[in-house]
Amino acid sequence: MKKNTSNKIKLGIFTSLGILVLILGIYFIGERQQLFRSTFHLTGVFKDVAGLQAGSNVRFSGVNVGTVDNIRIVSDTSVKVEILIDESTRKFIKKDALASIGSEGLMGNKILIIIPGTGGKKEIENNDMVETVQPINMDDVMLSLKKTIDNASSITTNLSSITGNIQSGKGTIGRLLMDRSLAQNFDSSIVNLKQGLFGLKNLMDDTKISFANNFDSTFVNLKEGSAGFKILMKKAKDSWLLWGF
Amino acid sequence: MENTILENSPNEHLEAETIPESFSEPISDSVFNKFFLEVASLTSFTWRFFKEVFKPPYEFNELMKQSFLIGYKSLPLIGITGFIIGLVLTIQSRPTLAKFGAESWLPAMVAVSIIREIGPVITALIFAGKVGSGIGAELASMNVTEQIDAMQVSCTNPFKYLVVTRVLSATIMLPILIIFSDAIGLLGSFVGVNLKGNVSTYLFFSQIFQSLEFGDLAPAFIKTIFFGFAIGLIGSFKGYNSYKGTEGVGKAANSAVVFASLMVFIIDMIAVQITSLFQN
Repeated sequence: MKKNTSNKIKLGIFTSLGILVLILGIYFIGERQQLFRSTFHLTGVFKDVAGLQAGSNVRFSGVNVGTVDNIRIVSDTSVKVEILIDESTRKFIKKDALASIGSEGLMGNKILIIIPGTGGKKEIENNDMVETVQPINMDDVMLSLKKTIDNASSITTNLSSITGNIQSGKGTIGRLLMDRSLAQNFDSSIVNLKQGLFGLKNLMDDTKISFANNFDSTFVNLKEGSAGFKILMKKAKDSWLLWGF
Repeated sequence: MENTILENSPNEHLEAETIPESFSEPISDSVFNKFFLEVASLTSFTWRFFKEVFKPPYEFNELMKQSFLIGYKSLPLIGITGFIIGLVLTIQSRPTLAKFGAESWLPAMVAVSIIREIGPVITALIFAGKVGSGIGAELASMNVTEQIDAMQVSCTNPFKYLVVTRVLSATIMLPILIIFSDAIGLLGSFVGVNLKGNVSTYLFFSQIFQSLEFGDLAPAFIKTIFFGFAIGLIGSFKGYNSYKGTEGVGKAANSAVVFASLMVFIIDMIAVQITSLFQN
């Protein structure tokens, strides 16, 4: 009889512990989904939710503050997302806050990100509609990336044909780089230029001497002329014909 | 009378000679028919269980005793199995996740695997091996030694006393055992994560509860009730309807484990289909 009672007690403890573990599990899962906290509702309308699901996390400044409650297609161009956020974070979210859709890492789940508004604005209220930023669609990114790759491909093709032409001596640059006669002409031009410059130098030297001589004789003549002119002027001054002037 | 027998006997002899052997076999000997006969008797057994379970008098003391034997006594085995599952799953999953640089997802992945599928199924299989065979062998040996007949003679309802209590105990105890198994499995996973890394208890369990949803927990818990019911019912059925003789005890225990394990998988498959139907 005593053993029977002890067995019943053991069974009672076993069952109670099992139920307690289950309740704790339910509590912690519910806690994450904000079931046991006071929350407030926000709604946002997106054109494309990019795979966001009901139950996805809502982040504010990198902290999980709520969950996506419901997602409904309202029209062919808009999807309404209902958000549940912990009441304690309401004071930090302003009226001009923005909601955008991001992801947890490169391969992670989609999350809803609340971007805080400006400090001076009023805090957001329950059931308010939050402005949204359209998410960057990976398909669009891939499409743009494809265009870039196509462009890069055509550029490399062109570059390849240009270098081919250069190598085969076609075009100005090709002839410049690959034509030997041009180099020889250039060499002979340089030689001619050198000779020409030498001749010019000699010419200049000769010119310099004759010019100096001429310049000197010009000055002598000028000096003599001005002396003659001075005498002439003196004689003219003394002459009676120019009295009164 | 004697004349008629004499008159008929030559014809009967002729008939026995002309009828091919395959047709002369009793219908129940064919495997196909045997299977459907088994299904029919299991169905009537289940129907009888539901009739008896709500009808007083209720065998509470026996229910307690069986719950103690089936549930409490199975805890060490289930606990060790659960711990090893968590540990091994974590160690085996780490290299694959490490290839993608996603080791931080290890607790979440292991938690979802254990809670949704591996915990309930492995625990149910162990439970089928221990409890299903136990019930089958116990009831079969009672049948062989004519204790069941004796109970009937002494105006005790053997079905209510032996079958209903055991099936109910298995149905109630298996979900509780699976809760323990899952919890111990997650502890095993925590040890596994910390064998080659350093993750705090708080962070580990926080990541686990971040990754779990009611959609993971509820279907897993509900299907364990059906697992327990199937294991208890098949164990009792095989034991209660065993052949008289020592061979019947072994056969009953063996087929109880085999059919109970098979039923666990079948129920699991149906549960997964129903769950995915609701989740998508």
